[in-house]
Amino acid sequence: MPKPSDHSILFDASHCTGCRACQVACKQWNDLPGEETFNTGSYENPPSLSSVTWLRMKYTEGVDGGEVFWDFTRDACMHCSSAACVESCPTGAVNYREGGVVTVDQEWCIGCRNCVQACPYDAIHYDEKRGVVEKCTLCYDRVSNTLEPACVKACPTGALHSGSYVDMKKIAEQRLAQLKAAGYQHANIYGLAEMGGTRVLYVLLKHPSAYGLPVGPATEKQKVSSGWLSAGIAAAVLGLAGAKWIAEDRDKVGGERS
Amino acid sequence: MTGEWGIYIVLYFWLAAMGGGAFLITLGLQDERAKRSGTFLAFTGIVVGALLLIIDLGQPSRFWHLLSGIHPVSVMWLGSVVLALSGVGLFLMLVMRKWPSWLVWATAILVLLVVGYTGVLLMATSRPFWSGSPLMPWIFLASAYTSGAALLMLLGNNEKGLRRVSFNFALIEIVLVAIHLVWTYPKAQMAIQSILAGELAWAFWSFVVLGVAIPLYLEAQRKAGAIAALLVLAGGFLLRYFIVYAGQVEVLRF
Repeated sequence: MPKPSDHSILFDASHCTGCRACQVACKQWNDLPGEETFNTGSYENPPSLSSVTWLRMKYTEGVDGGEVFWDFTRDACMHCSSAACVESCPTGAVNYREGGVVTVDQEWCIGCRNCVQACPYDAIHYDEKRGVVEKCTLCYDRVSNTLEPACVKACPTGALHSGSYVDMKKIAEQRLAQLKAAGYQHANIYGLAEMGGTRVLYVLLKHPSAYGLPVGPATEKQKVSSGWLSAGIAAAVLGLAGAKWIAEDRDKVGGERS
Repeated sequence: MTGEWGIYIVLYFWLAAMGGGAFLITLGLQDERAKRSGTFLAFTGIVVGALLLIIDLGQPSRFWHLLSGIHPVSVMWLGSVVLALSGVGLFLMLVMRKWPSWLVWATAILVLLVVGYTGVLLMATSRPFWSGSPLMPWIFLASAYTSGAALLMLLGNNEKGLRRVSFNFALIEIVLVAIHLVWTYPKAQMAIQSILAGELAWAFWSFVVLGVAIPLYLEAQRKAGAIAALLVLAGGFLLRYFIVYAGQVEVLRF
């Protein structure tokens, strides 16, 4: 679980208008270039995160019972407490900094891309030019100097908040109670249990799967232990079978060789 | 997707499995010369494979960072450690006249880990085609035996057990692949469609027909052993090719 004093962000989907000021502010503060994109049939743009896009707004559009819906969620690093990128990193280059912020030490990263494959949020990406991975830093340079992250600073509707984990959790719980009272039966908080608890929390109006968020993603430790268990059983079963099949004929023939 | 795991990774998986499989099989034979050649094949596969892995890094000159800390949860870290240690073990076996039994055991376990960790590596990702079933290590191990035996036969080893190992494991392997496709289909539809009828179909169907079905037929008929063995080796490459690329067809994003 995140520590109460950890740096944290709260995204409140019920206040978001999808203006993407956060997306632009992220590019400006972190000096990230724009991307050449293409029309995917949605206002959502660019279509995924990349090594130069660390934050974007995800638009979920459709028609439900004759009613058009247009839902917005934040798509960026969740700064997990049991982060798959940190746990899968073979060198310790991706790690937790002070206040639980997950960042990449680009002087130490070897560019193996194991974290890219491991992240359940697709939030860490490989920069081919520099040969290292890149991701959201929760504006570590700003928050460690008592400033808000750039995305939070830019939000004009109050959909983004930042501060200590315990404060963000409190705001999220208050907002959830308001929404439930206003009749939003499916409103929920995302990130309290996912990946050991994430330092970025979401207040959502619908079930997380409606926004395409992973529901109950397995942690890296769980996946690795089931992987080794399966490999161990495979080695025992297939190894014994192999040894038996080799030995059967060996005893009859006895090491004949041409 | 940029920075995907590509052809170097496929080649490494293939070389390590072929050499490692051949080594593990020859340890079960009584022929001393076969054991020597198995050791040589595994050593070559592992050294060339390790070089391919280093070339594949974004920062090849920093590869030593892998061995300068302890990160046991990271399958990539554990893989590089067992790869390095198995290289040392195989080198010692190559230069020593008489093998102490502890060295043979330790090296055998390390080589088994090299062949097996690749499956765990893929399972421990967020790619549904790799992590959707627990069968990746099974497929890679079965295929290591199939291609290891084929490699030894191709090099002229006539031990009868090899034919049996290659034949039986090829059957196991194709059944495991079929189960894996059915098992992961609900989560990895795009990956499986690309294998069955999309951009990776050539690799998958060549694997099924050329890499498994024809060699099985030839081996059952006791004909054209060398051709069957060559096809099995090509099949081992194609298997890893479509598995590595299919996993990255659909990047889990929200």
